[in-house]
Amino acid sequence: MYIIGNLSLYLGIGIAFYSIILYVWGLKNKNNKMINSARGGVLSLVLLSSIATFLLLYNLGTSQFQYKYVAAYTSENLPLVYKLTAFWAGNAGSLLLWLFLLCLYTGFLVFSKEKRNPMMPYVSIIMLLNILFFFIVIVISGNPFEMTETIPADGKGLNPMLQHPGMILHPVTLYLGYVGLAVPFSFAIAALILKRMDAEWIKLTRRWTLVAWVFLTLGNIIGGWWAYLELGWGGYWAWDPVENASFLPWLTVSAFLHSVMIQERKGMLKTWNISLVIISYLLTLFGTFLVRSGVLTSVHAFGDGNLGAYFLIFMVFMIVLSLYVVLTRYQLIKKETNPIESYFSKESSFLLNNLILVGGAFAVLWGSMYPLISEALTGTKVNVGPPYFEKVMAPILLGLIVLMGICPLIAWQKATFERFIKSALWPLIAGVISAIILVAIGIKGSFAIVGLASTVFMFASHLKEFYDGIRARRKATKESVAMATCKLLVKNQRRYGGYIVHIGIAVIAIGVISSHAYVKDTLQTVSVGEKVEIGDYQLTFNGLTEHSKNGNGIVVAALETSYKGKSVGTINAEKIFYETWPEPATEVAIKTNWKEDLYVVLSSWESKDKATFQVKVNPFVSWIWFGGMLMVFGTAIALIGGKTTTSRVYKMGIQHKKAGV
Amino acid sequence: MTKNKKIITGLMLAAVAIAIMMFSSMPSAGSKEISISELEQNKAEYVGEYLMTQGLLNKESIKWDADKIELQFEIYDENNVSLPVFHKGIKPDNFSDDIIVIVEGMLDKNGVFEAEKVQTKCPSKYEGEDMENYDVETHKQILGEQKD
Repeated sequence: MYIIGNLSLYLGIGIAFYSIILYVWGLKNKNNKMINSARGGVLSLVLLSSIATFLLLYNLGTSQFQYKYVAAYTSENLPLVYKLTAFWAGNAGSLLLWLFLLCLYTGFLVFSKEKRNPMMPYVSIIMLLNILFFFIVIVISGNPFEMTETIPADGKGLNPMLQHPGMILHPVTLYLGYVGLAVPFSFAIAALILKRMDAEWIKLTRRWTLVAWVFLTLGNIIGGWWAYLELGWGGYWAWDPVENASFLPWLTVSAFLHSVMIQERKGMLKTWNISLVIISYLLTLFGTFLVRSGVLTSVHAFGDGNLGAYFLIFMVFMIVLSLYVVLTRYQLIKKETNPIESYFSKESSFLLNNLILVGGAFAVLWGSMYPLISEALTGTKVNVGPPYFEKVMAPILLGLIVLMGICPLIAWQKATFERFIKSALWPLIAGVISAIILVAIGIKGSFAIVGLASTVFMFASHLKEFYDGIRARRKATKESVAMATCKLLVKNQRRYGGYIVHIGIAVIAIGVISSHAYVKDTLQTVSVGEKVEIGDYQLTFNGLTEHSKNGNGIVVAALETSYKGKSVGTINAEKIFYETWPEPATEVAIKTNWKEDLYVVLSSWESKDKATFQVKVNPFVSWIWFGGMLMVFGTAIALIGGKTTTSRVYKMGIQHKKAGV
Repeated sequence: MTKNKKIITGLMLAAVAIAIMMFSSMPSAGSKEISISELEQNKAEYVGEYLMTQGLLNKESIKWDADKIELQFEIYDENNVSLPVFHKGIKPDNFSDDIIVIVEGMLDKNGVFEAEKVQTKCPSKYEGEDMENYDVETHKQILGEQKD
């Protein structure tokens, strides 16, 4: 087993290297035989990485403690699902997961229906460079098949915080997103090398990019959900450097997804798109570098020195490569790019949205890097916390929301202001009315009210788009409402899928704004029988009990809860003391209804009759998770359909005009 | 000037606005990270500034008032310089072992550090492997390295 595992890794290096050489050689001599052989090499890489992956899964599943990795992250009594998901609990395993996904993606590409595309060998070479890098890094600094000197009786066990459904999904989804971005990057570079300045590479990678993006979205949201349930500080996003590292590519890819539409339709913004995809890909490497190097103080720090350095080297290599390719082709790209024709058009509003997204990405990057920058410049490290990010990002995100409300209402090419006002009238009224209602029912905080009203405006303008579309269909075809809605979605999957994503964002925005602005928070020490009152809730402390389960000691605080004077049962806030772990874990007691979460943390106790609680009422937090699901649903709709051929674009253009958009 | 350029100029202005926003909120939002020794040497200089520092927890010094929800303790660095800390808020889990405590807040006139945030850290937080080195010496070493 030990031999098979290591052999597959070492062979991997060899074959990746071999395939790259054959591709280059084959391209040089126009030798198809060599290219075919290189393609075979890719297939065997898929096989090798699968072997390594399944071997590690097997080792973990059957508790082979002679392997360091298995002993370090699992223990005998761990449930099987967590034994298996310990795969990505540490460095070595998560690198292998990354490699495995990378090989799978490359395999898909090389044997897809585009396999005869002249770009494909170049794409493969760039993907293979990534694969080669990961094989080497795994062998040098993170081999999951390393053996222990003496076989321990039991492993050290998995960090209890990671024993949560969120942690089964969060790393995998993020990696799927990270790895997926390598594909559009490879295509962009390949297109540049071949001097193909049309939108072909964009069309071919549209689905890849969307998939990567939706996984990044999911990864971040699941991460927030996990933090909210498991870490017990009542929040879901802490602007930690590592969180920022996964937010950065999300921002730039979101920008990219919009700006490529302009290139697809109009042949504009070519340099911009290429830069965006390169930057997004580099940011994934940069994020990994941040996580693995420990240069920044973070709760996520893995703190394994060398690994970060390898990523830095690889990143610099990729920066140099992409800069070289872009600069040598710059004149050509410029020559074939159409200029933007009007200030007031969908094109420029997309460009504005792009600038805001990229500006936001830069602000986040700047804040995350500031400790390093300030240390280099002044000698003192200045840490930047949530106040900075909230102050800077709040107006940026507000701007985005407003723009998201305006964008769908503006026509392509050249819009007239009168027309726009006409279509924006109802959404605007909806926004204003919601602001008036909020003020009337006594809600305070002007920025939050502006934010909520803008969100309503954005939501309403999307509803209007749906309404107009459905009405136009019904007029033309006499279909029923449900039928017309379905047909509308099916016929314009990209457009309405995108709108559903926007609506998901609106739902999330409501959750984020209100949970930031209107959280109720109290910290109290109570004795048995005493009450904690917060919002509409009243909690009566019934004392602490202690019991043990699976060898872990659990301290339970029972709180009898009533909502608006009516009893809603007893909730339990717990602390769990793990046998295998030095720190106790917090089990938050959460009571959710559609508009708020009651969030109770048992923080410490003096005796079994006296304890200290942190109690919060977080408004609309569950909307964030629901909005996330909507975003995934919308993306799925956009993914399933939506051809990108020119005829399609032409037809859609006509429909746009018909619908009067 | 072509129309294209004009549009881009206009958009650049938006970018500049973002940049200004970014820099203007920087100093007020940041916390300076310094060592306890440095803080003790230049007390007067740092009074009123928002700071972050870290040190090992002195177990005997912990005073926890559950009714008022007030926490007092001392942390010390590798030069054995110690700093008294006052925190109005909850006591972190495991606040009794030899752990590294990271505090953020301000130094008051009496030389007591009024912490807004108290976080504990041990190298094993998310990684299993470091568990075997779980002792004070390693903490000290890590503490030293981070200062370098």
